[in-house]
Order: sequence, then C-alpha cells, then structure tokens
Amino acid sequence: MKKFDYQTLVDSQKALQQRSIFWDPAIYEEELKQIFNRCWLFLGHETQLPQPGDFIRTYMGEDDVIVVRGKDKVIRAFLNACTHRGNKVCQAEGGNTRSFTCSYHGWSYNTEGDLAGVPLEKEIYDNLDRASLGLVPVPRLESYKGLLFGCFSEDAPSLLDYLGDITWYIDVVTDSAKGGLEVVGTPYRTEIPGNWKLPVENAIGDGYHVAWAHAGAMSVLGAIGNGRSDNVLGISANNTGVDQAGAIEVVMNTHTVLTTLDGQSGYALYDHPDPVLEHIEKNRPQAIEKLGALRGKQLYGSETHIGVFPNLQIIQGLNFIRIIHPKGPGKFEVWTYGMCEREMPEETKGIIQNHVRQTFGPAGLLEGDDGDFVESITHSAAGYATRQMKGFLGMGMGRKVPWDGPGEASPGLVNEACQRGFYDQWRRAMEAADAHGIIGEATPVALREVRHG
Amino acid sequence: MANAELKLAPATLVGKVGFELEWAINQFMTLEARILDEERYTDWLGLLTEDIRYQIPVPLTTYRRNRASTTALKPLFIIDDGFSGLKQRAAREATGLVWLNDPATRHLRMVNNIEVETTATPDEFLVRSKFLLKRGRREKDIVSHAGWREDILRQTAGGLRIAKRTVHLLERVVMDKNLNMFF
Repeated sequence: MKKFDYQTLVDSQKALQQRSIFWDPAIYEEELKQIFNRCWLFLGHETQLPQPGDFIRTYMGEDDVIVVRGKDKVIRAFLNACTHRGNKVCQAEGGNTRSFTCSYHGWSYNTEGDLAGVPLEKEIYDNLDRASLGLVPVPRLESYKGLLFGCFSEDAPSLLDYLGDITWYIDVVTDSAKGGLEVVGTPYRTEIPGNWKLPVENAIGDGYHVAWAHAGAMSVLGAIGNGRSDNVLGISANNTGVDQAGAIEVVMNTHTVLTTLDGQSGYALYDHPDPVLEHIEKNRPQAIEKLGALRGKQLYGSETHIGVFPNLQIIQGLNFIRIIHPKGPGKFEVWTYGMCEREMPEETKGIIQNHVRQTFGPAGLLEGDDGDFVESITHSAAGYATRQMKGFLGMGMGRKVPWDGPGEASPGLVNEACQRGFYDQWRRAMEAADAHGIIGEATPVALREVRHG
Repeated sequence: MANAELKLAPATLVGKVGFELEWAINQFMTLEARILDEERYTDWLGLLTEDIRYQIPVPLTTYRRNRASTTALKPLFIIDDGFSGLKQRAAREATGLVWLNDPATRHLRMVNNIEVETTATPDEFLVRSKFLLKRGRREKDIVSHAGWREDILRQTAGGLRIAKRTVHLLERVVMDKNLNMFF
C-alpha cells in the first residue's frame, strides 16, 4: 500500500508539486527505499580506477560505498561497513590499497571484499565462518562506456534498459571523440542545507533562472563579460529578452535532456572559448562519422544538460558531471567532476578545468547563487501553512516541437518541461510496486538505431 | 627545553627580518582584513601585484601512504586565479546584482600567528598567518571558515603588495553554500 497520495503531491495535469515533498522526513525515508535503493546510481568513471588496488568512496543514497579494482582487475562495490560491528573500514576518499582494515578491532578485508584477517582469531573463535563475513557487495554493478553505475535491487532491469533512450544523448559525450571521455578523478564537494530534488531539477531544466538568479555572474563572465555579445544562450544580459529558437527540452520516459542544438553555444560562457571551439570543429567530422549528422552537427558542442534519474547530471559545454547525494530531507552534498575529451590538447583541457572551477566549483561565480535559493525554498516549507502550498511548473505546457531524436521535445531553454518530467518520474518511482515499474517504456535498442540513426 | 629546534626557530626569524618590518607586515595584514570586511574590493585589488597567483587547494582525504599524487586522485583547486580572475570575482560582487548580498552581508576576519621569513629574493618575504573568517547574513545565516595562509609579500615603490597567496582550509567538504569571498 502506498504511504502517500502521490497524485496529490505531484499533480501532472496542473503541473503542481506540494511543498511538503521538500520537507517531510517520512517522504524522505520513502525516497531512500523506493528510489535510492532501487534505481541505478552513478558511482564514478572507470578511469578513476586504472590500477589493481585503486579505490574511491562514494554514496548510494546515504549508504557509504567503496568502489575498488581488485587484484583480478575486476571492479566491485561494497558497503563501507565492517561485518563485525558496522564501523567504516575506509576513511579515505580514494587511493590505492591492498586491504581495508577496521579501526575498531582490526578486522581486515582484501580488495575483493573477502575477510582476510581477524586479530587473535585462533584464540577467540571456534571455526569462524570467514566466507560469510566478507564486505557486503553492492549486488549490481555495470558500466556504460566507462560510466560506472551500481544498484541495490537484485531484480532491477539491466543498466542498459534503465538508461533507455538517454544513451542516445550520453553517446555524444562518450563517443564523439576517438579517445572518449576523461573525468578529472577528484570531485568538488559542497554540503548545502536544502532538499536534494531542488538542485537536480534546477540543473536539468531551469533555463528561466539563469539571467535573473545569476545576473551578477552573467554580467562579468564569458561573451557578455568580454563584450562579444549582449546575450548568452539567447538570454539577454539584463533579462529583457529571450531567443528560444533552436533549443529544446526533451522528456523521455525516465530521463531528460535540455540542449541548444547549435553545435557551439556550450562554450558561450567561457572567457576564452576559441581554443575549445577550434578543437570541437576539428573533431566534428569524426563525431558526424561516428554518430550521424543530427548528433554530430547539432548536439556535439551544444550546451546540453543530460539528466539521469535520480541524481546524475552530465553537462556538456560547462563540462562537468554532477551528482547530488541526499543527506537527510534538508541537506545534500554536491559532487562536481570536471570532464573533457581524453585526446584534447593539455592546454584545452586546462581551459575547461579552469571554467568548471570558475563557474560551478565551490567558489564558482554561478554556483554561489543556486545554493541560496535552494536552501530558502526548503526552509520556507518548515511552516505548516506554507507547506500546504503547491509549486507551479507550468511553463511551456502543451508546446511541442518536431524532433527526430528520442523523446518528446518542447521548444526553448526557458521552459519547464524537463522539471515536470523529473517530478512525474519521481512520482512513478515512489509509486512503483517493483524496480521494473520505475522506468517507463523506452524505445527498444534495435529500433532506436533505425529511427534515430 | 633541550629541543634544538625550539631554540633555533625564533632566533633565525627575528634576526633576519627585523622588528620594524615584521611590525609593518603585521599592520599590513590587519589593514587588508579590514578592507575586505568593508567590501572595498577595488582597494583590495590595489594591494596585489599584477603577477599575483591566488590558490585554494582542496585538502584531499587520503591515507598518509597515498600522499603526493601516488594514485589516480588528482590535485584540485577551489580557486587558482591570476589578477584578472580575482578582478572578475570582485566585479561580480560590485554589480549590485548578487541578490544574496542584499540585505547586506556582514564580514569579520581575524588574522594572527603571523610569522615572517626572508626568501631568496631580497624584496620578497614569506608570510605565514592563521585566520578565522565569519560571514553573517540575514537573521542567523552565519558561517565560519578557519585556516592558514602562506603569502609572498613584495616590497614595492608603492609599499607592501601580495605577490602570492595560498589558502589552506580545514574541510574537505565545503560546509558553506559558496566561497564567494576572499580569504
């Protein structure tokens, strides 16, 4: 039986979201179970673990997880908890090790998760069943072109089925260049006092806030800051006009994409975009050959925000991968990894890394604005009466535009289609009886290639 | 008191720089903190050399045996700016379009444990200091950041100027909505 009336909490017909979903601890507990314990969650990128013994720590929901490449070169993930008393067996964020040793009684596990050492074992235990006391594995771990995902649900669909049509867009990031994707293997991390859903839908779909909330940053950065243009992404510096031509917000059954479709505006906020744009144009024939004209010409190089439900954003142009880890109903951690093409010249990679730091690092010129209203939205819901209010995301409702790629497209960056898609998906996941019910019907992989080339 | 290092350290420091310059540097650091507290960013830019490098590294949480880039974890900077980058940050603050600074933000910086050393360059001094920065907004939105800094101060015709600053913070996970302030 469903614990809440989700049709009331998220009303798709009227595009309303009851504000209690950002505040209620009971709803949050359900999210940990229904969403974070059943969806595929992003763990990291294979390039972060090149050698046997390399490990990183991350979170799946609020579960602390170790991802490690074993001596046999296989990547596994485990709960970071000693099977004796539950103490964390790893306190480092990453590195290289031969074992994980608990600081409480010294139980030690190898990089394959086996219990390898128990101090005084012979003296204090009779026939200790070590085999049953290895680190608890994350039961599912799969890679999509180097992007590692884990899932706690044994009976969830495969990663490929879970991702569905969104892979058509992810491929632009992973396949456009010969060497593929490179991730800067250390994330920025910031803790913000707000609800985790707010930064997710902000990043995947809120083009409306850019010119207003970030007005200070927008007037000193990139094309406007250096006087080349009076707008960025069609949005004027003083928020007096918007050119919606070309750009689209696409809602698929589980995930979303926002993209400018002009092949170059991903770099509009860069102070020094030319070396990156030159690289993009040099590589474009390769992208077209590999992915076809639509993606090679229109998606590659565009500002593109790929939202993978629930908490992963892959953002081309700004060039970072972002994960929002929930930390209770009123707190979350933002992890931001810089990303670039592995075969880019070092100088170009440097320009991209600088840009990530300058815009959306912890001291980023734009980052500083978002945390504030996300906190404020969450905390206003502390009031009982305010919590009965409903938020309204009705912009662009009913506006459709023809689109040859997967998903349903709505015109313009200033649109709330992706945000509506996110909350509809949230409701589906919360209501789903089993892990298969979380995803909607995606186009079968074989058909997808035929339809979209 | 048999520790040789303890006896040695103050003698080398005091002897090489001299009380008068140490005091001048001490006053310079205090003035700089007040200029930033008063949001006088143009004045603050005037205290920097044009070739300044300003860095805030992320303190990675790695095992001691894994230090110094022995693994795939790469060093990361929260800020790694030259003069133009700092100027851009200051310009954003001055636009009047940063909504969270209105009502006005309140700043308080305390700088102490100042140590001055000579360097291989006669006009440049290595200055170490510890700081506590508190920022208050609205009713009770108060955050604190404590850390230490390693600066290179240069004696120029116009007076002392900051030629390099490295800011070391304590927290790996930034416990603040943003670090849009100068340390």
